[in-house]
Amino acid sequence: MSTPNWLYANPKPCSHLSDYKLRHGLSGYTKLNTCLRASPSGRLSVRIEQEEVMRCGFGLESSGCGERRRLLMCLVCGSLMCSNHSVLHVQAQSGHGVTVDVERSELYCSLCCDQVYDPEFDRVLMCKHVGVKPRNGARNGGVETGKMRFCKRRRLGLDLGLSRSEKQLGFVKDLRAKSCFPFGLRGLNNLGNTCFMNSVLQALLHAPPLRNYFLGDRHNREKCRKISLEKLCLPCDVDAIFTAVYSGDRTPYSPAQFLYSWWQHSSNLATYEQQDAHEFFISMLDLIHEKETKESCDLSKDSGECTCVAHGAFSGLLRSDVTCATCGFTSTTYDPCVDISLDLDTVRRTSTNKSAKSNEGGSTSTLSGCLDLFTKPEKLGSDQKLYCQSCDGMRESLKQMSIRRLPAVLCLHIKRFEHSHIRKMSRKVDRHVQFPFSLDMSPYLSSSIVRNRFGNRIYAFEGDEAEVSTEYDVFAVVNHSGMLESGHYVTYLRLRSQWYKCDDAWVTEVDERVVRASQCYLVYYVQRAFHHAASEDLGCLPMSPHRDTFQPIAGCC
Amino acid sequence: MVHPAEDNLSHTQLSSNVFEDLLESIIVDVASECHRIARLGLERNLEEEEEELRLSALARAGVADSGNSSEANNKYVVDIFGQTHPPVANELFDCMNCGRSVAAGRFAPHLEKW
Repeated sequence: MSTPNWLYANPKPCSHLSDYKLRHGLSGYTKLNTCLRASPSGRLSVRIEQEEVMRCGFGLESSGCGERRRLLMCLVCGSLMCSNHSVLHVQAQSGHGVTVDVERSELYCSLCCDQVYDPEFDRVLMCKHVGVKPRNGARNGGVETGKMRFCKRRRLGLDLGLSRSEKQLGFVKDLRAKSCFPFGLRGLNNLGNTCFMNSVLQALLHAPPLRNYFLGDRHNREKCRKISLEKLCLPCDVDAIFTAVYSGDRTPYSPAQFLYSWWQHSSNLATYEQQDAHEFFISMLDLIHEKETKESCDLSKDSGECTCVAHGAFSGLLRSDVTCATCGFTSTTYDPCVDISLDLDTVRRTSTNKSAKSNEGGSTSTLSGCLDLFTKPEKLGSDQKLYCQSCDGMRESLKQMSIRRLPAVLCLHIKRFEHSHIRKMSRKVDRHVQFPFSLDMSPYLSSSIVRNRFGNRIYAFEGDEAEVSTEYDVFAVVNHSGMLESGHYVTYLRLRSQWYKCDDAWVTEVDERVVRASQCYLVYYVQRAFHHAASEDLGCLPMSPHRDTFQPIAGCC
Repeated sequence: MVHPAEDNLSHTQLSSNVFEDLLESIIVDVASECHRIARLGLERNLEEEEEELRLSALARAGVADSGNSSEANNKYVVDIFGQTHPPVANELFDCMNCGRSVAAGRFAPHLEKW
């Protein structure tokens, strides 16, 4: 298997390593492999059975120098030495400069006095990980070797609707009216504590896959009415909202029919009370999925990947690895998800905090901190022992989450509302969470997490796909302000590099600093490829020869 | 194998040696890992992350200074289209259930009664 050259900077071997390889090839590596033992944490170390404690043997025959720290093993003759004596060793025996750090299984060149890297060395070591068999012979380590059903490569985007069907795009006719503002920008009336709904709708109205789908007439209301047996169809109501909001009419729209429809479908949430925007978001995706999959009786649904518009846009795959703390056997499961809910990380004190006068005590968390926490190995308590196949018993374990497959649109949910069932109390955490406008998700991918677990060896881990795009750009932020019970939701939208605040019926322009300083609750990111395609698409409307008509200019109409 | 050099060390010195061994091991662990990550080009793009953090800190400081009340519900503002709206939306439409004419801002409580 070839090493993924695009991923690792190809480390040039030093001349000593090259000479060693010419002379000995892989024989030293494979011999070393027989002495390696993996600890439960996954680290490979050299173990010489006869010796309880390994020491530097350099010097006097009977006792040697005795140093125990930082031992190196010569890859030519196998002698064990401390780093000082390894220098003397290579002087005495030329060609014996390449050694291995016995604790960490890293190549060390005694002549360069530096750690060196060789893809073939890493590959030989990885065979040790992958080949280790627990007592009952099952595979180990969480490193799949292609046996797992490989998910079909996702088509980027829903491959539709970028061709504009003119009948749907009413704004083409209404070009005179406020045409300098971006399309799809329209206030939504609050129908009575419905800001939770309005805020999420604003974000979804600008999620490129959804927008392309509905504006591309992929859910045709007339056809639906004819073939559908039910009177109510949530996707139809969503389609109606899209049409209205993108029509060019700028007076606030009342999503009454949608509210009615949604309440009919989810009676448990149908109360005149402030709801949670995140719950509403999940509920809406579920209902769209239900309706869409009902209509198309596609038997190939069993292939595991749902292609309805909701899942096509938001669905990703999470990987969960549970490792036995006793033997290191790892079992892996995959679960689909439509968003990622993040616990708040511990506060990060930055130097600028001293000057910031904030009534929240100047403390700030970061989104990457929350994501790090999400993918951090978590020790499950001794009251949460899990069954280990290899040990054939209940053992304490370590759990680690990672992202196997990223969605086209990534919704990150900051868990600000803590509900305590014991004390029947809920509280809101007001702490500011810093979030970037451009986010690279590669450190949280399963391939990165698993690679890190195995010491970042140069190896083609499963899931290393060159075409996977991990860069995301923010396009909507749903914000919650105020108390738990009586708070208010607003959405910040980024359209063509300008930020807008959508506060129910009121749409205003805001500076990006306001958005950065806001208290985010739901942050919506879209894959960079989509983002560029999106801004291209809306920009190149047929009519105007001069593109600057579509630059948002405040108050020009 | 009893090592001559450690024969006559006191308890404190032995503990001290063990501590030093552990400390050195930990330090080399971190150094080795970071060396590999740096040499193989697996580092996270720290400059970009630092830049985002800096912009965020600036933004927060700026907002605190100017006493920006963007979070406050100032419902008497003019929107970008030059429109003003009453705090309670007064657009009228007919209820799907009873057919009565309802103001938008009171639609939800009205609907709830059904």
